[in-house]
Amino acid sequence: MFQNPEIAIEDLPDMEELEWGKLHPRFVRRIQVQNGLVALAPIAGAIVFSILLHTFLIQTVLLWVLAIAFAVLLITWPTISVPRRGYVVRDKDIVFRSGVVFRSVTAIPYNRIQHVETSSTPLDRKFGIAALQLFTAGGSGGDLKIHGLGAKVAEQLRVYILDKIGASIEHA
Amino acid sequence: MCTFSIRSGPVLNTPEPGTWRRTSPLAILFFLGKLARDIVKNAWQALAPLAAVIIAAGGDIIDRLKIGGILFIVAVIVISVLRYWFFRFQLSDDSVLIREGVVKKKQLDIKFDRIQGINTQQNIVFRYFGLVTVNFDTAGSSGDEGNLPAVPREFADTLRERIGRSLGRAPAGAEGESLPDALLQLDWRDMVRIGLSDKRALLVLAVLGPVMERLGDGADEVITNYVENAAQGAFQYGMATGVAIFAAVAISLVLLLALASIAAAFLRYHNFELFLDGSTLRSNGGLLTRHEVSMGLGKIQTLRLQQGVILRLFKRFRMSARQARASHKNDSSKNFTIPIVTGDDATDLRRRLLDKEGRGLMQIPTSDRFTPISAYFMRLPIMINVLISILLASIGFSIAGDPATALFLLWIPISLWFIYKTWRHAGYLYTDEGFVRRSGTIGYRTVALLYRKVQRVSVTRSPLQRRKGLATLRVYMASGSVRIPYIEHELATRLRNYILYKVESSQQAWH
Repeated sequence: MFQNPEIAIEDLPDMEELEWGKLHPRFVRRIQVQNGLVALAPIAGAIVFSILLHTFLIQTVLLWVLAIAFAVLLITWPTISVPRRGYVVRDKDIVFRSGVVFRSVTAIPYNRIQHVETSSTPLDRKFGIAALQLFTAGGSGGDLKIHGLGAKVAEQLRVYILDKIGASIEHA
Repeated sequence: MCTFSIRSGPVLNTPEPGTWRRTSPLAILFFLGKLARDIVKNAWQALAPLAAVIIAAGGDIIDRLKIGGILFIVAVIVISVLRYWFFRFQLSDDSVLIREGVVKKKQLDIKFDRIQGINTQQNIVFRYFGLVTVNFDTAGSSGDEGNLPAVPREFADTLRERIGRSLGRAPAGAEGESLPDALLQLDWRDMVRIGLSDKRALLVLAVLGPVMERLGDGADEVITNYVENAAQGAFQYGMATGVAIFAAVAISLVLLLALASIAAAFLRYHNFELFLDGSTLRSNGGLLTRHEVSMGLGKIQTLRLQQGVILRLFKRFRMSARQARASHKNDSSKNFTIPIVTGDDATDLRRRLLDKEGRGLMQIPTSDRFTPISAYFMRLPIMINVLISILLASIGFSIAGDPATALFLLWIPISLWFIYKTWRHAGYLYTDEGFVRRSGTIGYRTVALLYRKVQRVSVTRSPLQRRKGLATLRVYMASGSVRIPYIEHELATRLRNYILYKVESSQQAWH
């Protein structure tokens, strides 16, 4: 039976009162480990410079300050940025929010998703974490990647979304 | 047995599945052209073996060059003939199979349902023999797209029809039978306009412009100097002539470039005609090589109207319809371009291309139906530009100690003017089915799209936008993303919710 009910714009579902799904609790630690490794590079550089120049004092102080500030930023940033990220799985689309300074909310309808992919690096697997990537057509603007889901959640979502894509194709 | 008739036999005219076959030997011309283009593109790699041959061979340099040149030409011809010889294709029920390659064999399997359109090109020799080169415009892959060189025109038409049929589309009216009247025809005046408004020509004008102006200002001086010097018979006579020669060279360079640009427009768009054939948009044009391009109306993702400074003088626009592009590549071959249209024609075309859904999506930039975006749009760029100018000026002064570094401050009014213009040119309008975004700094660009073809939507807010209740709406189409910056947050979310509703309830295909 074909139905075509009139839709009032005000009644369209909004996203103000969404219950944002949180990422995996160990995701912050996982990024910190990776960033920690990255942060070691400038510190190692500072050490090498200090030894080469035979001065651990005034000349290299600026270098040390910069290297340590960089490391501190890399370690603390995830504790600020990760809680800002969240996702909501709705009946017809999936919504993802992110960003501390520039806050964005992105929505992808299931009937536009071309394929779904889960992936995990060795470090991810240590923490039981996976990434879910959703591909839409012409997506050079960076297809949506939700990193930091529990491995099991990511797999469940992948199956759920695949199911939804199939349903939307049958419908069309 | 192979029979070498230039006109291909009747077998080629009926695309029956199952047999491998060659194209006409004239395809060698196509491979020659392709090879020549490749050589120009990678000149160094291609010329390296040639250089080796020249150096290795004995004799004096002229002889070596002669031998090298002859060898090179022979090699190019032989490669082209071989490429033709190893090129086979066949049609199956649902795809076109191409086998090619002399050393590295490759087989291409182009499924009908991936083909977005069939474009043809016809150079002057092919035209005489009624042959065309078919180019399959496919979704997804870029670069590895198939060509069928030198097949009969009728073959291309039947192929087009067959692909349309296998996809369940209404067959487009066959060539020659019931071709509808042209929607648009371009004449030589349009070619001149296209040529003059070419971006590359503009670039040269922009570079030479200030020089020319100075020459204009200084002309009196130069002439008086010239006369005085001539009277004195002094050595400065030489310099005055130098300036005159430079001016002459510069002027003729500009003229030459403008002419080249106009010639290029003639080559590509001579006798340009636009047809709407059922639900397929089709154009053909070109002086020596005729290009025929087609695109299904349903494939259109965004419709663009552009107007640079020169087009504005001519009161004309450039229109293009974009279709889904292959990922990661900004591939302009996926665009259907109408090089020049008047405002009225553009509006009429938009109505035809987007049909009822496009009602109200006015694309003429000067229309008063556009809503401006918030003036806070200018705040961040102004702050950045002013800061950079002051910083550069003060650093420059502290290092060089030269008050001339204050010239950096001149950037402030210039950048302010640009930022203000960008804001003035930005705008949007929306209907129940789609929206139009207007942007541009010196010129104008408007993009129209339908909500139901959107792939995903995002709403982004910077700290300033959060304080002022503003947001940036970005919609991702299969052809790229379109952004409306600095609009009311409430409007952005309302549009987003409505777009999602439109996409999720749409039963129509987006491509």
